[in-house]
Amino acid sequence: MRLFRSILVLCGLCALSVAAIAETPAIGAAAPDFHLTTIDGKSFALSSEAKAHKAVVVMFISTQCPYSNAYNDRMRDMASAYASKGVMFVGINSNRTEDAATALSHAKAHGHSFPIMKDPGNKVADLYDAQHTPTVYVVDSQGKVRYEGRIDENYEDPSGVTSPDLKNALDALLAGKPVAKTVTKAFGCSIKRV
Amino acid sequence: MRSHVRRAIVALLFLFGVRATSAAAPSRLAGELDAAGLREAVARERGHVVLVNFWATWCVPCREEFPSLSRLQERNRAAGLRVVGVSTDFEKQRTAVEKFLAERRPPFPNYHRKRGGDDQDFIEAVDPSWGGELPFSVLYDRSGRKVRAFSGKLPTAAAEREIRKLLASR
Repeated sequence: MRLFRSILVLCGLCALSVAAIAETPAIGAAAPDFHLTTIDGKSFALSSEAKAHKAVVVMFISTQCPYSNAYNDRMRDMASAYASKGVMFVGINSNRTEDAATALSHAKAHGHSFPIMKDPGNKVADLYDAQHTPTVYVVDSQGKVRYEGRIDENYEDPSGVTSPDLKNALDALLAGKPVAKTVTKAFGCSIKRV
Repeated sequence: MRSHVRRAIVALLFLFGVRATSAAAPSRLAGELDAAGLREAVARERGHVVLVNFWATWCVPCREEFPSLSRLQERNRAAGLRVVGVSTDFEKQRTAVEKFLAERRPPFPNYHRKRGGDDQDFIEAVDPSWGGELPFSVLYDRSGRKVRAFSGKLPTAAAEREIRKLLASR
């Protein structure tokens, strides 16, 4: 009987540890490192870039998702505005339905000069448990996740934004202050996994 | 000869039956709702098992799973299943939503999510585990208690097994 209980406890612990692996990284926890090649052929390692910058914004994006596309200009403008402040923006396309050539032409069409990577087998999306596009993660120079969620609350009208959540998180981080709202949610397109 | 006549009558009856079913199918939006409105819509169906499906016309997997939702509703209506659709389309796509419903004629009511407020509040109110990805479905038992949520396309066979278990329990 005691053996049976021990087995049950062990099974429970195993189930918990698997669940923990599958969960999105907690705020303040280490951001899962990944190595990918950009769509223009350069290698990228999150851990190295995080050390070299004040923050890295990892954005799960899509070329076809209307919600992601609603933010194309905002991604371009924020990446440009924050580059001089030591923040690097990167785009990850994990959709099996969108190839590198499509991602490249989409980036050119929308003036996205930040690094964009295909995520073969959606391994990075799995590491972050990213479910939809657009979803962003802010990783600080210590390699820790400081913010997860949306760019802002108004996908339809950039001029009507009342909660610029990503901007607030970055500004707080750069000012050495705690991020007030660390997790946010918005509608988006499911990542098309293999 | 008689069997030909019988077959013709059966075929005619079948055709009329199909037409009657199609004509009865909701081809327009049933209205708008926010999180409170959704709670009321689910509460109105107390005594039934309810599957709420969140979708959008621009969402490919949502469009792909629509026929299976219709079949799920048809197969289990008599036993007490009620499917409720909620379109999360942009306001400017409302015409596209109406057109989609007119073409598909789903055998279940569909609402448009009411604009205003923060999407996050709506998402959290529906299910705290929901990140906002579409499609997304939530299953309620006959007492209106939330049983589980499905992220992404509904695994139809597994979901139907679960629905039938709920339908079997009174």
